Amino acid sequence: MIVKIDPEANRRTQKSKRFIWMKHSDRFMKGLLMVPTLMSASFVIFIVGFISRKGIAPFLPSVYGSERVNAFSFLSGTTWFVPPNVYGILFIVINTLYIVALSTLISVPLSVASALFVTRILPKKLQGVFKSIIELLAAIPSVIYGVFGLGIIAKSVVRLAELFHAQTAGGISTLTTIIVLAIMIYPTITMMSVAAISAVDPALEHHSLALGATKVQTMTKVTLASAKPGIFTGIILGVGRALGEATAVSMVAGNAGSGPSLMLFSTTRTLTSTMLLGLKETSGMDYDIRFSVGLVLIGVIFVSNFILAHFKKKVGRFS
Amino acid sequence: MSLVGVMVLALIMGFIINRGVGLLTWDLLIGDYHPTTYNLSLPTTESLGGFARPNDLDESAFFSQMWGLGLMDDVDFEGKAVVRVIYVDAQSPLQMMRDKNNLERVVGLFPGLALEKVIFSDLTIGLSRTKAENFIILFDTHEGINDLLAVSSGNGIRGAIITTGLLIGFALMIALPIGIFSAVYLHEFAPKNNAFIHTMRKMIDTLSGVPSIVYGLMGAAVFIPFTSRISKAEGGNLFSGALTLAVMVLPIIISATIDALRAVPDDYRKASLALGANHTQTTFRIVIKSAVPGIMSAVLLSVGRMIGESAALIYAVGTAIKDHIILTEKSASLAVFIWSVMAGEVPNFELACSVAIIIMAVVLFINVLIKLVARRFTLLP
Amino acid sequence: MNTFDVRELVLTYDGKAALQHVSMNIIPKQVTALIGPSGCGKSSLLRCLNRMNDLIDGCNVEGEILFHGENIYAKNYNVYELRTKVGMVFQKPSPFPMSIFDNVAYGPRCQGINDKKTLENIVKKALVDAALYDEVKERLKESAMALSGGQQQRLSIARTIAMQPEVILMDEPTSALDPIATGKIEELIFDLKKHYTIVIVTHNMQQAARISDYTAFFLMGNLVEFNTTEQIFRQPTQAKTEEYITGRFG
Repeated sequence: MIVKIDPEANRRTQKSKRFIWMKHSDRFMKGLLMVPTLMSASFVIFIVGFISRKGIAPFLPSVYGSERVNAFSFLSGTTWFVPPNVYGILFIVINTLYIVALSTLISVPLSVASALFVTRILPKKLQGVFKSIIELLAAIPSVIYGVFGLGIIAKSVVRLAELFHAQTAGGISTLTTIIVLAIMIYPTITMMSVAAISAVDPALEHHSLALGATKVQTMTKVTLASAKPGIFTGIILGVGRALGEATAVSMVAGNAGSGPSLMLFSTTRTLTSTMLLGLKETSGMDYDIRFSVGLVLIGVIFVSNFILAHFKKKVGRFS
Repeated sequence: MSLVGVMVLALIMGFIINRGVGLLTWDLLIGDYHPTTYNLSLPTTESLGGFARPNDLDESAFFSQMWGLGLMDDVDFEGKAVVRVIYVDAQSPLQMMRDKNNLERVVGLFPGLALEKVIFSDLTIGLSRTKAENFIILFDTHEGINDLLAVSSGNGIRGAIITTGLLIGFALMIALPIGIFSAVYLHEFAPKNNAFIHTMRKMIDTLSGVPSIVYGLMGAAVFIPFTSRISKAEGGNLFSGALTLAVMVLPIIISATIDALRAVPDDYRKASLALGANHTQTTFRIVIKSAVPGIMSAVLLSVGRMIGESAALIYAVGTAIKDHIILTEKSASLAVFIWSVMAGEVPNFELACSVAIIIMAVVLFINVLIKLVARRFTLLP
Repeated sequence: MNTFDVRELVLTYDGKAALQHVSMNIIPKQVTALIGPSGCGKSSLLRCLNRMNDLIDGCNVEGEILFHGENIYAKNYNVYELRTKVGMVFQKPSPFPMSIFDNVAYGPRCQGINDKKTLENIVKKALVDAALYDEVKERLKESAMALSGGQQQRLSIARTIAMQPEVILMDEPTSALDPIATGKIEELIFDLKKHYTIVIVTHNMQQAARISDYTAFFLMGNLVEFNTTEQIFRQPTQAKTEEYITGRFG
């Protein structure tokens, strides 16, 4: 008996096999692609986890035994290192906050004014040019800002100090650090402010002018008020960048041994400069303690972000 | 007041160009950093004489017809006067000198070297403070050389350039697939309104706010031990550096790729599915292809970020300036190079600024490319 | 046997009803037009026929749609197969950013057909049947984006018929085209109906009257009246139908 092969049935089975494959390949791909995604998402945990592990080590009796650092004196100390195992970080935190605060205070008005200038006063053709200049400033690597800081800013500060009959260590000082940081965060805040101001509905400004307000009044009371949330985001970003800036700051701060250094012409030490300078070994207490400093830095950034975000909500209440 | 931006940029660029342009020579780019001393001798002297001065030889150079050698007065980085070799004829016996430390090795005298001392066969000595003209006279009046001491100029950044290239290359090889596929998953395949997915996105967003030095700490804490265990590296090496950079640019790549995917019109997806294709085919055959310009921007942005990176690499790799690059050892990238030459007692501003010019040139180039890609991106329907 | 049997279809988007207990059938090798004012649910019904509504979040379907007797909303029904048998042409042509050839060959390639000769034949036949071949035969490898609106729409039709479907769904296919291009498409539909069952959504009543054999009138998610086109337009039985057709609203 000849068994006939039904070609139609064969094709049907082939087709349904194919369609099952299509459904399953989607499911497979979805699962496959989840792997790199999970990896990406977990890096944050890795970072915090591993840094914590190394950063807490100096304080644990199990690791360093009797040589361990006292956590409390660490957090409240005003001298960085007293051999053999006393480290203090409080003054460094104060320095860091002091410097960042002053840089922000200098930079914000300049940034906002620049942003207003670029978006409202400058003719359209030049706006692109200015934006490119600011983007370029933002793209300059920190180490180059450091070289610039040492080369020009530091020298200028020396001359300034002479005017005030003050001493400086070749220009390496708190003031230099503040100025360099202000320059570095200026493009960040400016770019965000430009975006925020550009997003303000021009109709609002027309209404204001129609009510008899002057251009200046309109710009300050209406435009800036509407752009406040965006500008604030820029400030938050800028502060974040300033707190985390390591290379440039390390080149112009001086790494003072104790503090806090509130005098503008004296050398100073920030959390980041502590981490980057004086690296002699790659293991041991002196190395591990820098991870502890790193943890404090992460904490400071986190808290400041939180506080500033809170302010932003309050500020943006009417937007 | 708002010209602050322009003024500052002009100041910075002006400064680094001013201080750095002096050193910008081809030798800088391909030379070693560490000066090498060559201690050479010439066993026999055949084929002396009869060399013609090449037409393109610098006018202020002095030429020895007997040896086929061109010398010129020059200054080194510290401003000291040196006698520089600028031409050695291919047939010159000076091409066949022997390394006194390893008599088997044949070393030819080459342009760029500074002549320190030459002891001729009759024990006449020529020293570096002899001017080039006099040196040539000495050469022309002697037929044998016992000893020749020459120094390569050093301060070259070839090592740093290679290091930077390797770091960026490896980092992209790691970060691009992970980043692009994460973005594809999050935008095309992930269920919307899902709390877990939302958390993952938030965690990836947080990555972009992390300062470089924290990445450096992570690299030191995680990748250095990791790479030490799986290779013969001890301590910081290029792999740990590449891994650190990869994690650093991952959020940039993911974010830019998601933007690119978002820009692909939904109509394409609908048309594809209506033709009976499944999700995978739609994504890979059409969506990703359309998103390529955006992905190119992602690559450019990442390179721009990596090329100037210093703090992370100082921790995750190290600061030693090397000429001979080995993957399992530490080496300084261009930005770390600047850090190294500025550290220490006397910062070398000139060298730092030269390298800064190079970095800025690349950054500028990348920024222009990004703009061009963006323009082509928006022109595509 | 009817191509489609829609039975008590209820469609909701995020809880809001878009189709209320719709029951109708689609007759093979005929043109059925779905008409009605904006938001009446005609496009939603169309999208149910090839389960493109699955892509919309929050979309929920109750009831049945039988395709050749099988419920397409059954649990393990193969939706990919459905879409190769029930093709769809959208209002916006959206050619893929590839060559004309690759656009038409896309569907077959996704189904695993990779033989060069076979693909060439399929593409040629599809372009001929879509009345586009003569205009593009010299430039098959050029980008499809360079075609005019009307040509792009015919390309979409070619793309769809390359799959050799039974049914072609058309969602306002000429809304974005000029009158001349519209005319060409309408002519094409006359030809296509010899081989394919066509369901067309249109807000242009005259178009429905011109080209369709059957018409279904929808209002606010309800099927008000379904009959031959002649009946609907000459002697509608429902008052609402008459109001719509005479232009009193919508």
